[in-house]
Amino acid sequence: MSQELINAITEMREDDALKIASQMLDAGASPLEVLDACRNAMEIIGKRFETGDCFIPELMLAGEILSQISAIVKPRMSQSAESKKLGKVIVGTVQGDIHDIAKDIVVFMLDINGFEVTDLGVDVPPAKFVEAVKQAGAKIVGLSGFLTLAFDPMKDTVAALKAAGLNDVKVMIGGGQIDEQIRQYTGADAYGKDAMAAVAIAKSWA
Amino acid sequence: MFTRPDNWNQMSPLERRKARLDAWQNAPVPFASPEAEAGYKERIERLRKIYDMEPHDRPLADLFLGVNEYVVRRKGIQGKDMVYNHEKLREPLLEFHNEFQPDVSVGPLPYPGKVMDMLGYKSYIWGGQKLPDNLTIQAVEGEYMSADEYLEFAADPTNFWMKKYLPRIMPTLAPLAMLTELPRVSENIDIIDLMVPFGLPPFQEMLKTLMEAGNELMKMLAVVGQTGAMVAGAGFPSMAYNIVKTPFDYLGDTVRGTKGILTDMYRHPNELLAACEAYVPVLNNAAVNACDRNGAPSVLYVLHKGADGFMSKAQFEKFYWPHWKQNMMALYEEGITSYLFIEGSYNTRLEYLAEMPSKSLVCHFDKTDMRRVKEVLSDKHIIAGNVPASLMAAGTVDEVRAYCADLVELFEGKSYIMAHGCYFENTTDEKLRAFMDSVKK
Repeated sequence: MSQELINAITEMREDDALKIASQMLDAGASPLEVLDACRNAMEIIGKRFETGDCFIPELMLAGEILSQISAIVKPRMSQSAESKKLGKVIVGTVQGDIHDIAKDIVVFMLDINGFEVTDLGVDVPPAKFVEAVKQAGAKIVGLSGFLTLAFDPMKDTVAALKAAGLNDVKVMIGGGQIDEQIRQYTGADAYGKDAMAAVAIAKSWA
Repeated sequence: MFTRPDNWNQMSPLERRKARLDAWQNAPVPFASPEAEAGYKERIERLRKIYDMEPHDRPLADLFLGVNEYVVRRKGIQGKDMVYNHEKLREPLLEFHNEFQPDVSVGPLPYPGKVMDMLGYKSYIWGGQKLPDNLTIQAVEGEYMSADEYLEFAADPTNFWMKKYLPRIMPTLAPLAMLTELPRVSENIDIIDLMVPFGLPPFQEMLKTLMEAGNELMKMLAVVGQTGAMVAGAGFPSMAYNIVKTPFDYLGDTVRGTKGILTDMYRHPNELLAACEAYVPVLNNAAVNACDRNGAPSVLYVLHKGADGFMSKAQFEKFYWPHWKQNMMALYEEGITSYLFIEGSYNTRLEYLAEMPSKSLVCHFDKTDMRRVKEVLSDKHIIAGNVPASLMAAGTVDEVRAYCADLVELFEGKSYIMAHGCYFENTTDEKLRAFMDSVKK
């Protein structure tokens, strides 16, 4: 039945996916088995995204399907059944920019790929990133920005992390107008052109 | 205002296009001096030749939206001023034009802050309101129409907009929902239903606020209009267009939100298609009427959710392109040129644009492969773009010069407009000069 769930998710059959997930649990499948199938499905969708065979609508709908399945599965899970995380990542849209769509996709993809993600939301000042990194002990930060006015706040955030002595923290940036030139300008360690790139970068640092 | 010639019905689309461009080119301008007039004519003739895809002396450099904020910020103007203090923008704008002598004018940024306050406008936030004073304005995406309402919208888009959408994003307009459906006003007895809201206090209160807001708008437009006339009078023609969107982008940006509309392609495909179809005649009418009213020969499409990555080619062909194409074809028939501001990349969409008749489009790119653009589109349409905002913000003067020189060389002999790919705030005077000088021999 796991394969049926994987197929339903990757084929974007939302109603079928929810039904199959419930049936699996009712038939005695463990919550982890259901979540593993979800993860496998997302891996397939992620690969298709990288090869240009699926796009943002599919990432978004799969995200919706998964959060609905999670809502069914989570109450049945014991704390210890939570899978081991790859690492902690702090993500937010930088100060002055209130856009969240791309940032939300990155948060979701990092989460589903095994990272423990703290989402600071939008319009996040540098000091808040510093505080969150210290509090969580995270080694990876993701800065999002849709507008070109995000260039300078990204640079300021990278500088604030360094000034706080967090030199072992790696920073990745992303957003509509972000490229290698802006990576150099901000002093970030990497830039990703989309959510899958963010996952690949984070995995290489984990 | 554009007045149609008597033989309009006998004219071909390209003859109509010529009539609209002639009217725009020859519109009266209060020139400040004979030199300003000569400069204006030289500039607008070059622009016209590029629009007509005729031989011309050189490409033009259009600072476009890219630089609006920079030209006033360099003189200490804040975001809040751009929304509330339009008088303060005049001197920096005039000074910029006199100093830099651009090929086409930079607009005076008419964000009507006071009017937006009075309407309780919710789909943007701005400096001096919910954003800090140094920032200007940003969109707040929301879901202002539920998926269940698609068919109600499709049945009567104008009614839905007036009675549902506008009250939702501008609470001051909530009493509009009290109006009867206008096409049923037929017999004398129907006048009662038509007029009842006008006699009720909430509706009357709304009318009062609207009149006050209208007065505020007129004050702002007088200032902005005068600034625009002074810029033109100093010798700088404007690229005149009315802003429009595709049916899919109107629905996605405005009422359903990005996640809403992109997942609707799976969850509510038929309803979404019905809404897009219903939008086409409404938009055709709206765009033509706007161009007739203000004499602009073109519309500016700000394009969002059809870009590479936002959807597959199959989805683009089903949900995005057909209604947009119908819309652009209707405008072409009316002699209106569609200026496409294509944010993001459009590498997988170029062949669709090539389906459109010659000279029907100006294609302005942001992050698209310009070599392919040249190959696929440059014999048919006017091309503009795609100097990166990142380069203007973080590159060196030499890098800007080299990038622009490459574009000039690439599009030699074509109708090409040097332009930025995206809006930006920060650059330097030296980089702007390098950008503008790149088209000069």
